[in-house]
Amino acid sequence: MKRKDTAKCRNVWCEIDSVFCKGDVNVSKVVACYKWVADEADLRIDADLSVDFSRVKGKISDYDKNAIAEAVNIATAWGEKAVGLTFGTAKAKQSVKDALSRGLEEGYWINADEAADADGAAVAKALAAVIQRIDDVGLVVCAEGASDTFARQVPSRIGAVLDWPVVTSVMKIEIAGNGLMTVRRLDDCMQTVKVQLPAVIAVLPEINTPPIPGLKAVMAAAKKPVHEFKGGDLGINFTPKTKAVEFKGYVMARKNVIFKEGEAADKVRELAAALRKEGVL
Amino acid sequence: MAGIYIYSDNNEIAAEIIGFAKRVGKEAVLLAFDEKTAEVMGNSGADKIYLLNGESELVESYAKAVAELLQKEEAELFAVGSTARGRELAARAAGYLDCALVSDVSALSYADGWFLAERMMYGGLVQQRESLDGLGVVTVPGGKFDPVTGNAEVISMAVQADRRVSLVETAPIVRQGADLSQADKVVCVGMGLDKEEDLETARALAEAIGAEIACTRGIAEERHWLPAELYIGISGAVIKPKLYVSLGVSGQIQHIFGIRDSQLIVGIDTNERAPIFKAADYGIVGDLYEIVPLLTDALKKQTIDRPE
Repeated sequence: MKRKDTAKCRNVWCEIDSVFCKGDVNVSKVVACYKWVADEADLRIDADLSVDFSRVKGKISDYDKNAIAEAVNIATAWGEKAVGLTFGTAKAKQSVKDALSRGLEEGYWINADEAADADGAAVAKALAAVIQRIDDVGLVVCAEGASDTFARQVPSRIGAVLDWPVVTSVMKIEIAGNGLMTVRRLDDCMQTVKVQLPAVIAVLPEINTPPIPGLKAVMAAAKKPVHEFKGGDLGINFTPKTKAVEFKGYVMARKNVIFKEGEAADKVRELAAALRKEGVL
Repeated sequence: MAGIYIYSDNNEIAAEIIGFAKRVGKEAVLLAFDEKTAEVMGNSGADKIYLLNGESELVESYAKAVAELLQKEEAELFAVGSTARGRELAARAAGYLDCALVSDVSALSYADGWFLAERMMYGGLVQQRESLDGLGVVTVPGGKFDPVTGNAEVISMAVQADRRVSLVETAPIVRQGADLSQADKVVCVGMGLDKEEDLETARALAEAIGAEIACTRGIAEERHWLPAELYIGISGAVIKPKLYVSLGVSGQIQHIFGIRDSQLIVGIDTNERAPIFKAADYGIVGDLYEIVPLLTDALKKQTIDRPE
């Protein structure tokens, strides 16, 4: 869609807060990708190092809440729609309402049994397949990684599958003419990078503080449109590219000497003595 | 040429991966995007250095060209240093190749024609081992392998960049705190602290033992008491000090991920059941407002008394 607007700040850093400056610019939908993950706080490692998922509840991956909030911010500035997209087993259905309560207008979810064992390659292909089926997408916003695997590969892979430009490690986004101006935090420097749309952007958690949805937003979420796709209809081979040969709990070997009884002064004396003996002071 | 193809914007990690390649008997081909790197890495034991010349200053913009190169050369593995640039280049190349990528490996080995990679999941609670068949990509953090020496042949070639992303400006990171990855001792504050002024109590302890101040994600991103670069955890700093002391840190798994390589972990918290005590070598269950000043005093004396 082509729009004309009053703000004339094409090709320059847009200084005007929350005014969208799209001189003569194509803007379109923003897709926030997120993952419904097992809450790691509920995982139990058994004595034989097997991993017990039986008491695990699901949640939207923590970092994805930042991605959703940023997608909503950009769409609002553009005067466009932000929509949510996830790929998961049937359990992921419950995520859609939560996602929609965070300001997204529509929910898209891919229902696939294969999601349980899918690797980054399969996830990215599934998400990209649906992004191609949504009309008029200008931007995909992801978190760097999900809180379960934290492999930090899906956003870049989505970009490759779509052959769109990618910017990762982004801590700030501004609208700039035909594209976006982003600030990246790298290991050795900060970069300001301009990217043309459509593009895929992976944001760092520090980019925003996601608001907690209020009651009104939660109620409104129930009325928003939800689109379901079946994994089998996307024409993707979900077979993982690697063979998992072992999956086991990891327990750190630590001394676990905890001073809990007695006077504060005694506990401190014991700890100080221990630290001196360890030679770490 | 078959073999292990290597890239890192961190020369130390690149040298370590070359060391791995040579030790498992593979050809090591280093990808460099500027002449200076090709020169500096000339004696790092790589068989060849491919000096890739293109129009972009952003290494990540060559992902598609690198993928095509790897395919043409019949590379066996693309091993990339786990930095922000490296991770993006690796994942985009893997996407174009539609091949495996194992990120941030905690171990990597080669036997009987297979690469075997190990990585942590669920914030370090779970360890997974995966085998790679055919061309795959791995990202490798620093410190995993020993470097080797030996002269490399430098071969220049032109590559196409994705020009849809362009670099506008580079700025140094203005550190508001210490570089935690290099810290010898760290005092870390968590949500158990009642108010911002209480940071002074923690700073006094840090000063007494010569430690840097750090915090949990909540302190940096919810309360904004300390800058984001000072929070420890899976999405923040990953540290390996001699001594880590936490004050009012419950020890959520994402935080523990960032401190697991500490030599000695000490936790101080009121809640006896806080997970930090399971991850700690030593701990005190108690009111940190009572404990910390006493500890500061005790350790200050020890540090002064210590014969140099």
